[in-house]
Parts: sequence; C-alpha cells; structure tokens
Amino acid sequence: MSSPTPASPSSPVWRRLRANRAAMAGLLVVVLLLLLAAAAPLVAALEGQNPTAFHNELIDSATGGVPIGPFGGASARHWLGVEPGTGRDVLARLVYGAQVSLSVSIGATVVQVALGTLIGLAAGLGNQLADTVLSRTMDLAIAFPGLVFAISLMAVVPGSFPRPVLLMLVLGVLGWGGTARLVRGQALTLRSLDHVAAARLSGARSWRTARREILPGLAAPVITYAALLLPGNVTAEAGLSFLGVGVRPPTSSWGQMLSGATTWYQADPAYVLLPAGLLFVTVLAFTVLGEGLRTALDPRAKSRLRRARSRRTVAA
Amino acid sequence: MSKSRAVAAAAGFALLAGLATACGGGTAKSSATAAFDPATCQGGTLTVLAQLGQGKFDPAELYTSGGGKVPTLVFRTLTTRNHTTGGPDGAKVVPDLATDTGEPNQDATVWTYHLKPGLKFEDGTPIRSQDVKYGIERSFAPELPGGPPYLRDWLIGGEQYQGPFKGADLPSIETPDDSTITFRLTKPEGDFPFLATATQFAPVPKAKDTGTDYQKHPVSSGPYEVTSNDNGKSMVLDRNPYWSRSIDDQRLACPDKIVYTSGLDPAVINQRLAASSGDDARAVSGDTDIDAGILAKLNTDSALKSRVATGYFGATQYLAFNPTVKPFDNALVRQAISYAVDRTSVINAVGGSAVAKPATTFLPDQPAFGYTPYDYFPAGPSGDPAKAKELLAQAGYPNGLSITLSHATDQSDIGPAVAAAVQESLGKAGITVKLDASADDDYFTKTQLPSSEPGFFIGGWGADWPSGGPFLAPIFDGRQILTAGGNFNSAQLNDPQVNAEIDAANKLTDPAKAQQAWGQLDAQLGKQAWTVPLYHPVYKRLVGKDVKNAYVSQWNGVYDLSRISVK
Repeated sequence: MSSPTPASPSSPVWRRLRANRAAMAGLLVVVLLLLLAAAAPLVAALEGQNPTAFHNELIDSATGGVPIGPFGGASARHWLGVEPGTGRDVLARLVYGAQVSLSVSIGATVVQVALGTLIGLAAGLGNQLADTVLSRTMDLAIAFPGLVFAISLMAVVPGSFPRPVLLMLVLGVLGWGGTARLVRGQALTLRSLDHVAAARLSGARSWRTARREILPGLAAPVITYAALLLPGNVTAEAGLSFLGVGVRPPTSSWGQMLSGATTWYQADPAYVLLPAGLLFVTVLAFTVLGEGLRTALDPRAKSRLRRARSRRTVAA
Repeated sequence: MSKSRAVAAAAGFALLAGLATACGGGTAKSSATAAFDPATCQGGTLTVLAQLGQGKFDPAELYTSGGGKVPTLVFRTLTTRNHTTGGPDGAKVVPDLATDTGEPNQDATVWTYHLKPGLKFEDGTPIRSQDVKYGIERSFAPELPGGPPYLRDWLIGGEQYQGPFKGADLPSIETPDDSTITFRLTKPEGDFPFLATATQFAPVPKAKDTGTDYQKHPVSSGPYEVTSNDNGKSMVLDRNPYWSRSIDDQRLACPDKIVYTSGLDPAVINQRLAASSGDDARAVSGDTDIDAGILAKLNTDSALKSRVATGYFGATQYLAFNPTVKPFDNALVRQAISYAVDRTSVINAVGGSAVAKPATTFLPDQPAFGYTPYDYFPAGPSGDPAKAKELLAQAGYPNGLSITLSHATDQSDIGPAVAAAVQESLGKAGITVKLDASADDDYFTKTQLPSSEPGFFIGGWGADWPSGGPFLAPIFDGRQILTAGGNFNSAQLNDPQVNAEIDAANKLTDPAKAQQAWGQLDAQLGKQAWTVPLYHPVYKRLVGKDVKNAYVSQWNGVYDLSRISVK
C-alpha cells in the first residue's frame, strides 16, 4: 500500500505540493490512516483488546444491548467504548476496519487505473475500428449502474472467495471507464506531438511508442484522476458493506459498522459518529490531497483558472 | 405483565359485572385516564401499522392460525383462540361459529360441530354448515395455493382432492343438516379443534365465490367487511351491519373503521407510535417489535412504558445439526457444542433480554405446548468452554476442531449477528467456526433439502397452534423427512420409537394428557442433542397513546384487534 506521491522530493511538483497547506494536511491524515491500518494489531494490543471478543458484561441486555456508561461505554480499557449488542471493542474494530476500507479502496483504484490505462491506450493508439469499439465499451462502462451490478456480483460469488479481494476486483472492474476515456483523449493529443511522430516514423513499434513516448506524458493526469477515484472507492466499499454484501462478519469494516449503527443512532450516538466521522475524514483527506496533486502536477491549470477568474472580475 | 397491573385491571373489570360481553381476567394496557368500558367503547378509526401486507386476503390462501391479525375481524371460524384475555388462557381454543370446540368419536378420527343459531353473512343471508364445507373445499383448489398443509394430510381423500371448481365435493366432510358438519379423518388427531381455528374453516357462500378474485372482497362473517383492499398491502374495513355481540362472545369490535397500512420500515413504525401525533395516537403495531431506540427510553419514560405490551409466540430459535455430515454424527461433538454456546451473546445479537429468553428445551416454555423443563448440558448463561473441551477430547479432538456454520444474510434471527455470536463462543472452547452465508431464499432451499443440507446451521420453528404436536412432529417425525425439499427434520431422524410416541400423542383429545405426552417426548429427544435450543422470542409491541384495552395474544404474540378501543 502506498499513496500516490510524485517521484522525487526535490522536483518542482513536490515543491508546489508542499506549498499547498490543505494538501499537506490531507497527505498527513492519509499517512496517519495508512499507519493506523497497518499497525491495527499493534493498536489493539496497546489497548489490550481484540476486535472479535464479546463483552456481554459491558452492555445492558435489558435495554437491547446499549453499552453501559457515557459515550458508548468509553473507559480506560475501551478507549472509544464498545459496540452495542456485542460489547466488542470499537477502537479495535475501527482500526481493523481501516485495513479493509483502505486496502479495498486502494486495490480497487489500482485495478481501475491499470485497466483504464490499458484500454484507453489501445483505443487512442489503435486503428479506427479498435477505437470505435473500445470507445463505445467505455461509454457503456461509464453509464452502467455499477452499484446494482456490484450487489448482484457480490451475492453470486461463493462465500469461500476472500471478500476483500472480491470487493477490490468488483469495484475495479466496474469503475475503469472514466480513466480509459481520459487516457484515450490524452493519447490522441500526445500522438500528434512531434517527438511521438518522430518515434513512429523512425520505425518504433506501437507498444514501444506507447511505453516510451506516451506513458510519461500520461502520468500527471492519471495520478491526479486516481487520487480523485480513491475517495469514491472508499465510499463504494462502505456502501456495499452497509448493504450487507461487503465483507462478512466477524471481519469489521466502516460501512458494516455504520449499517449496524442505524438501529442505535438514538440509543448510542457515539457508535454512529465514530465510523461516520472516520469515513468523512478519510474521504475529505483523499479528496483534498487529490486536488492538491492536480494543481501541483499541472500548474497551468491553476493559472488558467486564475486568469479566467480575473477576466470575469474585469467583465463585471 | 406485572402482577399489580393485572390486579388493577381485574378491579376495573369488576365494575362491568353483568355485561353479556364481560371480559375474563384481561390485562388491559390502557394509558388513558378513563377506564375501558366495553359498553361505550364504540367509535373512531383504528390504524394498524405493519411491515408486511396481509397477502391475498382469501380465507383459503391465508396462513394465520385464525390469529389476532386482520383476518379474525372478517372471518369467523368453527373455533377460535380465546380472544378475551392477554393471559395464558389466550392460548386455549374456544368455540366461534360452533357451539363447542368439537365432539370427537372414541379414537378422535371423526369430529362433529353444530353451528350457533342466528349467524349471518354481511349481506344478511344465514350462514349454513354447507358454507363452511365449501370454504374448506376451496382451500384444496390448486388455483388457491397457500394455507396450512394439515387439511390435505388429515381429511380422508384430501390427498387426491382438487377443490370444488371442477364440480366434485369432498365426501369426508358431511353436512347432514344446515347446522351440523362432520369431518372424517385418516388418523386420530386430538388437535383438530386447533386446526379448526384456521381461516380455511370460515364459511364461504358458493353463490358469491369469484374464484381467484374472491380475495378482493371476501364475504364477511365477522364484525367488519372489506371496503377497500389493495392486494392486502393497505385495507379499509367498515362495520358489518349483520354482526352483533349477541352472536359473538369473542370480539368487541369497538372502532367503527379499521385501516391497515403496510410496507413500513420497523424503525418508522416505532417512531410514529412513540410520537403518537395525529392518527398515530390511535394506531397499533401489526407485526413489529420495539427496537433498541425505544427500549433505551423505557426506563425513563413511564408513559411510553405503559404503552408497550408483552406477548409470547410459541417459537424456538436453535442450532440444527445434520448427523449425516461428519463430525456431527458424533453425539459427543454435538454435546460439546451444546455446552460451549453462549446464549447471552446470541440473545444480545437479536435485541437483548427484553425480546428473547434463553432456551434449553426445544418446546416453547408455555404450558400449552407441554413444556417440561430440562437442561441436560448446563452451560449457564454464557457457556461452559471447559466442559466442552473435555467432551471434545473424549470425542477424539483434543486439539480442538474446525467446523462450518451456515447462516442467512438478511433475516436477523438467522443472520450474521447470531452467527458471529455463536462463532465467538465456540472459539473459546477451541472450536474454530467458519461462517457460510447465503441469501435468505437460497438458505431456506439449501437447509430444507436433505441432499444439500449443511451439517450445522441456524434454524427456527414457530407453532401453527399452541400444542406440542405441530411443534415436534415436523422436526422429529421420521415420516416427515421430505426428500424433495421443504424438510424441517434437520436431524433426518427416523426412530420407530419416536414415531410411535408421536402417533400415540396425536390420539389424545384431552389437552392435559397430550401436553404431558409431548413434554415427555421433548425431554427424551433433548438428551440426544439433535439441536441446540438458543432462545424463545418475546414480543414487545407499542400502541398509540389513545389506544385502550390493547393486549397481546399469548397464542401468536400480536395485538388482539378485535378487543381494542380508540374512543
């Protein structure tokens, strides 16, 4: 697992990114979340809890299983309280849930970007027929009701298949359309540039041209697009788990916790706020970081925007 | 139900002495200031809020044990459950259209009923025994599927009979005159009076039968007639002018109008009833128990607490073993699992101790079923992993064991939360449990087909009527192993001795003797650990703040709509 950061710390991209305080805050949160997820067993051990142990003594069975004590039964032993109905430790479930949420969303993004780049390149560099066929397939992939299809796919695959991997593949396979369209457009533009034309005229094969001349030019828009796809995948994973087709118990995930929390929002608000808040922060951090990356990788976009804005001010 | 409240209610009813329709020891749950008086309770509109619709509202197709839901307001049957009390007597059978609960012959294979005089349909035509016979015959027609399977099993010629629409009648139902009806059965069935509470025993006038369209406007024999009916999803019922309390001692029929609304989310039903604004003040929950949000408020809100009624439906949730799958053929393994299960965790997973009671017997803990307490594998409330490990070692698994538990994905009482609770508690005894989830429909198909039945899964069984027979026979009678699907004998048990005891108990017409026989059989089956009983559900349901005389029937755990007042 690695966050998409540009190549060298001394590059102008990194300098521009570092100057963007919001993006740096986003990056910090993302790194923290990744560390938290990677260190989930450590965090749980530090607290002295594990995510699956029930604690019936910490919940009030007579009122339906509400945690005993304020803020969802938070205590020195259970820092963020316990889960209503089971008494499982909320902190441990949140950090283990972060593993699922982050690995699935990053994995799905990788699949989406890889598939999208391959298909987009093939369409942009191939002949007329390939372009037409692949472009229509992209339209189809973009217009496809992904959630509905994901739900049915998740339901038909046998339970023995590892669920996080399945989630990753399903989200990846259903979400490559946007990347492909972007890559195709870029490839068409790059193809007409002099150095690409030179490479082709000198007899380089199309695969080599794509790899050596076009791919480097694609890096910036694709990285930016990936950073913006990621938060969408975090929510998609949460959504599928919320609907009960995501990871299976006793594995925890934020979406699943939120789904369980729907019956508890009045009796135990803490249990709703924690996964919801964490999900919110994650999506926000990735989005802000993605925006920052976009401007850092393509400074012209920012200046264009600024110019457009100043022109509007003049007109007004 | 607290004792003091029952006493207060009884005192309230003492004032009503002399009324023809005086109630028994009902446990009234009125929160309003004025006492409930059946003589002046008429008026107003009662709204029923429900998740599920009534389905096809045809007495041949309904499967409701003639219960306290909407059907009992429109369809009177030969016998009915005791409507007049929310106490344990609510699980008894009383006469409805008939003068008594049935006269059996010596070996309970012939049952005879006489109709009360003065009974009329909603159009004023008198109800005759032929109308009851016709109503039962309709339920055999393939055009009208649904309904309980017992009639086909029990009535002579029932297996081949295809209903009256092709012209043939069923000779094993005899109507020597307009008020007498006799049933001839293939085998002794002491529980026949219970079956006669089913809506299939409601009279249907042949002249008004419109076949599959009859469900849109069935002809009423009860206090209300159907005014509008959107496929059972929403219904409006108004008074039937030809019904009166003088010919019906079971129903009070206080509201002038009853509105049934379904398709609602459980949380919405609870919130609307708790808020009780507008028409919701005169509404009841049709099929929804209170949830955690309401439960948490009850301790601090006594007004809300007084609007929650508690009832019991004879049902047991359990872990089922299929001994044809290893290692569940080994009784020691089944016993070890029985010891290891943490019932507290399971109960918390389905809503806590307010809505479930731990179970160690297969029969529900109500006398009507023949409840005989036993606990052969005493695990306490949270399981005994040490004892379980000991048994596993004896069984040849000193280093623990790995098994798979099948569960459904949606329905909560057989769903992932219960499975996770079982998984965690067995883990403490060294039993590693893998979970195998399938969507509800697939799950039912898979677990009810002997050839695909998993070795270990979560099951539940509810009673068609409060008696041991329909509770034990489908689960343990070897002749009820259905190889083509729909099988509930999950242990695939075919023990000639058990079969013989079931036959003997079915012959008994004295409920007390039958209860004893079923209780003994359950206690004997329990030793084999064919199942691990987990809990019996408790129904806790909310009413609006202006609803009076609302209590939950002990027959089926739902509000008795025929006795509620909203005035």
